[in-house]
Order: sequence, then structure tokens, then C-alpha cells
Amino acid sequence: MKNNEHSTPVLVIGAGIAGIEASLLLANSGRKVYLVEKASYFGGNVIKFEEVFPNMECATCMIAPKQQELLQNENIELLTLSQVQAVQGSAGDFTVKVKKKARYVDLENCIGCSACFEPCPVEIDNEFEQGFSKRKAIYIPCAGALPNVPAIDTENCLRFKGEDCQLCQEACMFEAIDYTQQDEELELKVGAILVATGFKSLDLSKTNRYGYRKFSNVYSDIEIERICASNGPTQGQIVLRDGETPKSVAIIHCVGREEKGYCSSVCCMSSIKLAHFLKKKLPEVKITQFYSDLCIPGRTYQRFYEEVRESGVDFIRARVNEVAEQGKELAIKYKTEDSKENTLNVDMLILAPALEPEADSDKLAEMLSIPQGDGGFFTEEKPDLDSSVGTLKDGIFVAGCIQGPKDIPDTVAQAEAAVGRILSLSR
Amino acid sequence: MAKKIGVYVCECGTNIADNVDIDRVIETVSPLRDVELVEKYRLLCSEDGKEFLKQSIQEHGLTHLVVAACSPKQHELTFMNICEAAGLNPYLFQMINIREQCAWVTLDKEEATGKAIRQIKAAIARVRYHNPLEKKEMDVCPDVLVVGGGIAGIKASQLLASPDRKVYLAEKTSYLGGKVKGFDKLFTNMESGSALIEQELKKLQGNENIEVLTDTEVEQILGFFGNFEARVIKKAENEELNLSVGAVVLATGFDLLDPAGLSQYGYGELDDVCTSMEFEAMNIPGGATGGKVLLKNGKPPKSVAIIHCVGREEKGYCSRVCCLYSFKFARMLKSQLPEVKVSHFYSDLCIPGKSYQKFYEETKGLGIEFVRAGKTKVAQNGKGMAVKYETERGQEGESATDMVILVSAMEPSSDTNKLAQLLGIPLDDEGFLAREHQLLAPVDSSVSGVFVVGCAQGPQNISESIVQSEAAAGKILSSLVPGRKLELEVRTSEISETFCSGCKTCISVCPYSAITFDEARGIAVVNEALCHGCGACAAACPSGAASLKGFTFTQIYEEIATLVR
Repeated sequence: MKNNEHSTPVLVIGAGIAGIEASLLLANSGRKVYLVEKASYFGGNVIKFEEVFPNMECATCMIAPKQQELLQNENIELLTLSQVQAVQGSAGDFTVKVKKKARYVDLENCIGCSACFEPCPVEIDNEFEQGFSKRKAIYIPCAGALPNVPAIDTENCLRFKGEDCQLCQEACMFEAIDYTQQDEELELKVGAILVATGFKSLDLSKTNRYGYRKFSNVYSDIEIERICASNGPTQGQIVLRDGETPKSVAIIHCVGREEKGYCSSVCCMSSIKLAHFLKKKLPEVKITQFYSDLCIPGRTYQRFYEEVRESGVDFIRARVNEVAEQGKELAIKYKTEDSKENTLNVDMLILAPALEPEADSDKLAEMLSIPQGDGGFFTEEKPDLDSSVGTLKDGIFVAGCIQGPKDIPDTVAQAEAAVGRILSLSR
Repeated sequence: MAKKIGVYVCECGTNIADNVDIDRVIETVSPLRDVELVEKYRLLCSEDGKEFLKQSIQEHGLTHLVVAACSPKQHELTFMNICEAAGLNPYLFQMINIREQCAWVTLDKEEATGKAIRQIKAAIARVRYHNPLEKKEMDVCPDVLVVGGGIAGIKASQLLASPDRKVYLAEKTSYLGGKVKGFDKLFTNMESGSALIEQELKKLQGNENIEVLTDTEVEQILGFFGNFEARVIKKAENEELNLSVGAVVLATGFDLLDPAGLSQYGYGELDDVCTSMEFEAMNIPGGATGGKVLLKNGKPPKSVAIIHCVGREEKGYCSRVCCLYSFKFARMLKSQLPEVKVSHFYSDLCIPGKSYQKFYEETKGLGIEFVRAGKTKVAQNGKGMAVKYETERGQEGESATDMVILVSAMEPSSDTNKLAQLLGIPLDDEGFLAREHQLLAPVDSSVSGVFVVGCAQGPQNISESIVQSEAAAGKILSSLVPGRKLELEVRTSEISETFCSGCKTCISVCPYSAITFDEARGIAVVNEALCHGCGACAAACPSGAASLKGFTFTQIYEEIATLVR
């Protein structure tokens, strides 16, 4: 595909589902795209999900073809382990400084055989698996992660701590491991910028009420996503930390909503999805959802909710005031809207926390001179059109959860919309 | 010409070599018919490996190529490119996965080797029947037809129109602006909807690349992505226009469920029960009430009940925007009649996103009542009216009111059905135009090149509708580039004129409407521009006339027969 001589390259920040979709469309139109991703892999939050609502499709399988297409697209330069350091200029003529950390594994030579993992003597918690499994200092976060090339974590690698270790290099039969690689400073000239850095969950360890991190059987929804994942730490076996199968599960919606002051849009549906998944894996499990208002907007979501409800999942409109440990069980004290107080004992408690902008958003907002609204989400060009992908800075656009919490189709639509705006600009 | 098949086995470092006895593989497949040479290489995808492969193809004058290596997902394209570079048609190549499917799935080297041999033999048997296939390109028309002149259609037209791309904006009524034009206030900024439309229309005016066709109905759309022919009728002039366009955007909006069919609300029977659109109309400064909210008796109401989710149970979905515009109504009432008592009767508040809860809390702060209610009814109450409902405790609640506003479900607009039929787009269970993929292709319809945006594909607010029209524009601008040809699927279906009996079975199974019937010759004909190469017709054809290039009967039969032999 030829580059259009009138067009300028585009910088896309964040290689989750929004960044992937936008990059592919821009590249197919003939634009050069720099896709900057801070992790060593790409795919964002979506690849953590075994299944996504409402059709219970495997998320990894769903976006893998797009990822492959992206890796093979000559117009897209995927810069992993990279972060934007500075942005100067204006629409049509931005200069962007990007720091690209060394991977220490050659992307061309490595074939992803994983022979280097075993000899590595370092063993630490795998963050991608929420600490449920261990990884080495040279690693890929999970099976199927792309690019299928490990990275060396210099904070934990013995060699980078000054010890004389080269076991991974010795194990590699393709001379792909190169300890002499250096971090790089890149300077990119681009005409437009799309920010698609996504979300993170509210830090539950700061909320005392539900016993998170205090009681071992209290989990976040993302932790359960990994426990449900067939490529996850338990190969999809639903077990408690002690290895037992839970007989009863409670899910609490809207954790942190009061503090944050907004509804995170997707938690009702993702909680209903988790219930659906648990019921499928453990037909006998008793599931109770504690919610305040069901937010299941749009055509197909209510049908999904009804199906799950009919499969025997209880929905209780109540406020949970306290969670206590009673032996191996958790006692959930709640108050219904008609002021009745009650307690429910369960084996497993799942919390659905509010969504927040991904870490480092403040820094990025400052660099780009884009104001942030309540909650830290990037402010759009016209606050009355609050799904808008334009920002107050010409030539800079937003897509996905950095603009506000939203589900996958709305995220993809915003990514495509940003492409529409960018491609119509250059004329 | 004699066939010369080259077979290359990749060792993948030790990944394959460790668990597959490659020398035995070579020994076994070398004597097979037409096999010119069998070679192993340490890593075929490396730069050295690719160069070796290219030179080897040329040196030996190979006519067909088999590569046994990793997953085709990873490197099929790599090796197809090498074929091209070596002057060999890339479709004369077959790739076999002996890493993930042999070496990596068992510790038994004997079994892995046996399976690898079987698979390579099958590939050789099949590739012998491969014919060169040519990539085809098609000229495309960059122009676009946008159907529906509401906010979504207007915004899509603005983004798409350019000196090298004309946009036809067809609207069935006599004006542009759709429903939004009739809203005196919009949430959350409480600014005027008609002002928003005015502002957007100014951007359309003077844009010579947009042809606005009001009073216009779409009668027919034929063709496919890149080359549609649309016939539209300008009703006022009774003039028929034929438009050539490359893509179509459907932005036909919504209607509100008519609450007359739901007797519990007394609509049409009780004087002061109105729909949301009727309430909106009361607030238009130039309207029948001069912008005043009035009861039928001409007096302003002292109390107003807003009933949410009217028709939700019947429709089976939440209409997404009603909570928010109900809050807007409450604010409009309070600003016009500061003393009025406003009560919301609702079951669940659906206010997703970063900014709406604040709008709700501010509305509530104006002294507006929120009553969680089930099974809501409206009844005559002496001279007045009352809302009756079930409380959270399961008891009966009752609240007297002067006026009731019914906030009903959004439904697809009346001409959705006609357009769906015209274009062959399925409707979803709720009657909206279905998306091609619910998550990954939110504005694509199942017909390539036809996009569905705004409320035509489901309830959404103004901002979301605009995003969707921009998304459709993004997809069109990305793929329908003026001056660029469109690459067609290479492995399409073909129907033999000799064998086709004209039974039309293939036409009924084709999910892409890619097959038509040639009445003159009495045979089915494939449109290669529409065919996705799914093979449904080839499987269904009772006379063996339909076949898929690259997956012919002989190729598949030889492959399977060799595998199981």
C-alpha cells in the first residue's frame, strides 16, 4: 500500500482494542502509524478476559486476528515497552519524544519457543495473573500474548542487578537474547495524535469495608477473570486460594461508586457475565448479586440479564455495610432498601470496582495540555457531547475508557470515529 | 508441463527437530511422485532461510511448493511473499504445521514423526492440483449515500464530503434535523436542540460536495461495496434519480413506542397523560401552547409525575437515554414552574458514564422526588389523577398528580423494515438493524459497505449517535480511497456453466447474496466482488457445479484420502 503523499503519520498511544482498531484503519487508508504501548505485549485489558458479554465470546480469540493483522501491516510501527515523554507542536505538525525501553530480546530472531524461561533462577509474582502464578525475570505475561517474544525485567534480572548470570542467553538457540541492547529515545513527527490508554480498576486495598486483602476469599473482578481464564493461573478451574471449590459466591456491584461520583457503565454487565460463567463451570454454585440500580442499557443486555437471573442467580437490591470472616466463610451484612438488615454467608466474595483512567494519565494530560474532568478522564471538545472523540486541542483525539468508562462496542466505535475525524482533517 | 514439487522442512531451531525425526521425514517423502526435492533448514523464517528458499525455488524451477513448519497463522504470508519474489504464484503453495500440531503436542517422537509424514504427504497430494490464482482489483466509486437527515446523517455527511467525494443526503421529510430539531432543551447542558441543528446545518450549506435531497425516499439499492446503484424518488417533483455510490450510511433514527396500546397508563383516555414528544412540543416557544406547560384546562400543573420505562417490559430492553431526558424534563418543569411538584416513578436508574450521576444529583437537589416503583398504573382519582404502584416492600403506593408524562421505549423508525429488506440486512431480536459483529464492528451491517449508525441500530443519545456516524465515516475513509482500487478475495467460488442445472440451491445458502440467477442462460452466476469464499454453495450444490478456488473437490479429496490412507 502506498503512502499518501499529502498525509502525515499518526501517533496512537495505547495498544488495547481501541488503539488496535484505529491503527488498522489508519494504516489501511495509507497512513503511517506509530503505535506506542508501555507494556511488553499488546491487547490491553481485553486479553485478560476469558469471555466477554453478551455473547460470551472468547476475547483473546476475538482480537487475535486483528493483532496478527497489525503485526503484519507494514504501515504500522508497534513500539512496545515505550512511553511518550514530551509532545510539542500543533495539529498537522507534532514532534513527539518517545522513550523505548530495551527488551533485550530481538523481535526478529526470537521465535517464542520459551526455552529461555526454565533456566532463569528468578521467580516472582506474575502481575498479569494478579499474583496467582509466578513468572521468571525473562517472561511473557500469559500464553498467547503477542508479540510472542519475551522481555527481560531488569528490576528483577540477576544480571542487571550485577550478578554474573547468562543462563537465558545460553538456553536460546537463535541468539535472540542481547544484553547490550540500549533504551532508545525516538523523535517522531506526526500530524495527529490519538490517546487510547484505557482504564484500570479502582484500588480496592484502599477500601476497608469489604475486607479486600484482609480476608483471603475476597477477590476483585479482574482476579476472577484470570481464575476463569483457560490460559490463566488455574487453567480456568474455579478455586479459592486454598484450592477448594466455592459453593456460594456473592458479587458486590458499584464498589467505589459513591466515592468516585459516577457509574462505571460496564460493571453490572460484567458482574452478570461472571455469574453466567461461574454457573456454567459450577452448576451447583449459589450466586447472589448485591446491587443498587441495574444499568444494562441497550438492546441485547436485558435479555442476557434475564437469562442469568433465570438460571438461578439471586439479585438483591441492598447496601453492603460490612464483611467479616467467620471460619472459612465470609459474613456479608447488608441492608435492603426497606431498611431490613440481613447477613449472608458465602465462600467467595467478588467486588466489582469503579473504573478509572489508566495510570500515568495525569502526566499524559499535562504533556498534551488536555484538561481532565472529574475522575481524571480526558475532557472532550464539547462537554455537552460527552462521548465526543475530539479534545480541546486540535489534532488530538481520544477513544475508549480514557474518555470515560464504556464497553467494548462503544470503545471500538470511538476508535473508528477518531479515524473518521483524523482522515477528514488532511483534506 | 511436468510438475516439480519442492518440499521444505523447517527444524525451527530444535523446536521441531527435537521431536520430529526430520531425516526420516525426508527419506519417506522424497520418492513420492512429482517431488523434485526435499530439504531441511534450521530456521526458514530467518533472513538467511528466506533467501535460501527463494533461490532454491528459482534454481530448481519448482512448479509447486510445500513448507512444513509452524502455524500458517504465523508465517503463511511470509512464505507466500517469498513465492512471489521467486516468481512462483503464491497459490501454488501449501503450508503444513508440524510444530504446534506435531512436535509440541506429544513427547512421543515416533508419533510426532508419523503424523508429520502423513500431513506432508497429504499436502503434496493436494498441492499437485493447485492452480495459479490471480489477485483481482476493482475500480470503486468514492461517493456515499447517507439515508436519514437527522443529527447522525448530517454529521456523517460533513465528515465524508470532500472535493473528491460527493455525498448524497437523502431525507424522507421536507426538513433536516430529525428528532433533535424538536427538542427545546438537551441534556446535560440544557441548551436548545434546534440551535444545535442550525449550527450543524450552517456547515452543510455552501458545501458543494453535499447534495441534500429532502422529501426523498429510497426505492432500491443494488450492488456491492464500492459499486452501489441507488434509485431514489424525490416525492415533491415525482422525479426519479439514479445514484452511483461506493457506500451507504443508514441513519434513519427512532420512533417512540405508542403508549396507547398499554391501557394501564390511561393514555388517550385521561386528559393530562402525555408522551415525552408531546411534552417536548409544549416546550417549543413557537408551539401550540407558546412554550408553556399547560393542562388541558389551560392551567399550569401543580404536580407532574414522570413514569420511566413505559413499554420496557413489552420490548425487553432498556432504552438507555430515558432516565436522563426525564431528569431534563424535571429541570424544564422546575425552571418554568418553580413551585411544581415533580415525581419520578422508576425501577432502576440507568445513568452510565462519567458525567450523568452529577446531572442526576443536581436534578434531585432541586427538590425533585424519586420513587422506586413497580407495576405502575395511572387512574382517575375523583376529579384528578393518581399514579398507583408497588413499593419496594411490595405494598401499594398512590400519589395524586395533575399531569403524567409517559417516557416510552425507543423503537426502530417506521421505515427500518423497508430498508432492511431492500438491502438484505437482518434485523436483530429487538427489530433494529443488526450489526455485523456486536463488539468489533459496531457500525457495520452484514452487507459490506453498508453502515448503520445512531438509533437505527439501537437506543443511544445524541453524542453516541454522532460518534457512530463519525465511526462509519472512519471506516469509509479508510477503505474507499478515491483513485485506489479495491482488492477482491482471491479464493472465491466459481460455478461451472456446463454442470449447473439451475436449481438455485446455492442462491438460497449464500450468506452474502453473491450469487444471482442468469435467466437467459438458466444458470447461477457468482459475483466475485461479493463472494467471501465461505464455500457454502460448493457444499450445497447437488450437481458439483459450484466449487471454491483453492478448495476444490479434488484438492480436498486428495488431501483427506492421503491423510487417512
